[in-house]
Amino acid sequence: MATLVPPPTTPPPAPAAEAVKPEKVDYMDLPCPIPYEEIHREAMMSLKPDHFEGMRVDFTKGLNQKFSLSHSIVMGPMEVPSQSAETIKIPTANYEFGANFIDPKLMLFGRVYTDGRLSARVKCDLSENLIMKANAQLTNEPHMSHGMFNFDYKGTDYRTQFQLGNGNLLGASYIQSVTPHLSLGGEVFWTGQHRKSGIGYAARYNTDKMVASGQIANTGMVALSYVQKVSEKVSLASDLMYNYMSRDVTASFGYDYILRQCRLRGKIDSNGCTSAFLEERLNMGLNFLLSAEIDHKKKDYKFGFGLTVGE
Amino acid sequence: MSSKVVLKAKGKSTKGSKPSDDNSTSKLLKEWSTWTIKKAKVITHYGFIPLIIIIGMNSDPKPSISQLLSPV
Repeated sequence: MATLVPPPTTPPPAPAAEAVKPEKVDYMDLPCPIPYEEIHREAMMSLKPDHFEGMRVDFTKGLNQKFSLSHSIVMGPMEVPSQSAETIKIPTANYEFGANFIDPKLMLFGRVYTDGRLSARVKCDLSENLIMKANAQLTNEPHMSHGMFNFDYKGTDYRTQFQLGNGNLLGASYIQSVTPHLSLGGEVFWTGQHRKSGIGYAARYNTDKMVASGQIANTGMVALSYVQKVSEKVSLASDLMYNYMSRDVTASFGYDYILRQCRLRGKIDSNGCTSAFLEERLNMGLNFLLSAEIDHKKKDYKFGFGLTVGE
Repeated sequence: MSSKVVLKAKGKSTKGSKPSDDNSTSKLLKEWSTWTIKKAKVITHYGFIPLIIIIGMNSDPKPSISQLLSPV
């Protein structure tokens, strides 16, 4: 019997050819964009490390893969808001106890201070695409506590978020990937207490080497940022914040060195403020922090040192 | 001429027209929701950290109480 000759199979397309020629953009298969509130993420991380003044020691003790307790001592001058142009600082010492529980589906983060304040964060994955986050700062003083709930839905190439906060705060935001490198988004919010509502737009363009993002809101805020990754270890960032209602503008330039044993971030501001932040890994689980912020205009000099023990 | 003294009985001031049912239910709802939010705030304030500790102590591998309390 004559065997059927199988039809000649087409050879599989050579995978190397795809990398050589520019990829044809598949608009149905765009990557998921960054969440709307993190649109300036790289610039924020490089230009705004958390500077502190005085001494701080953080000790994190892990009891489990998922559960850890933390003890933290902060001693230093704290700024007190005052009517005069001078900044008034009062030396304070605070102890803070915290507990964290980190699970792929549920994350709980709580911190309680010696003055009775509680700061709590909850992140819960209700389903694969729906995430609920809650954030609260509770104090013993009446009317000084706030809380906020966020519901995030992640689609294939878009994200939406709905926010609900105390003081009758409602907000919603949406961000969509338009090309593999560009994503555009918008947000609306409404505060019941101050009877204000606002709408804002944001855009973010990123490649492997740079990230440029811009945001504009009808409250008068315009924020633009640009981060260039000069090499694996060095990146430079710049940021412009302009408020067209109050005609207030601030520009800052900074650098971020991520080296094997340390991370050094420094920046200079158009308000006459220069600052630097160093985190050095002395040993496994032992980090040394140095923070310096010099404000030449206000003549406010803040220097701090600290130690972080534990992962 | 005798002045007439008119004694006005001081009655309890009523809230104008009788309150309609809608007003009372929305008022009740507002009061009830304010009461729940106040209670929820107190419960969260005192109970959030113990809740995290209880959830953490029950996750596996189970840590022991001595690990919780010792400073090392």
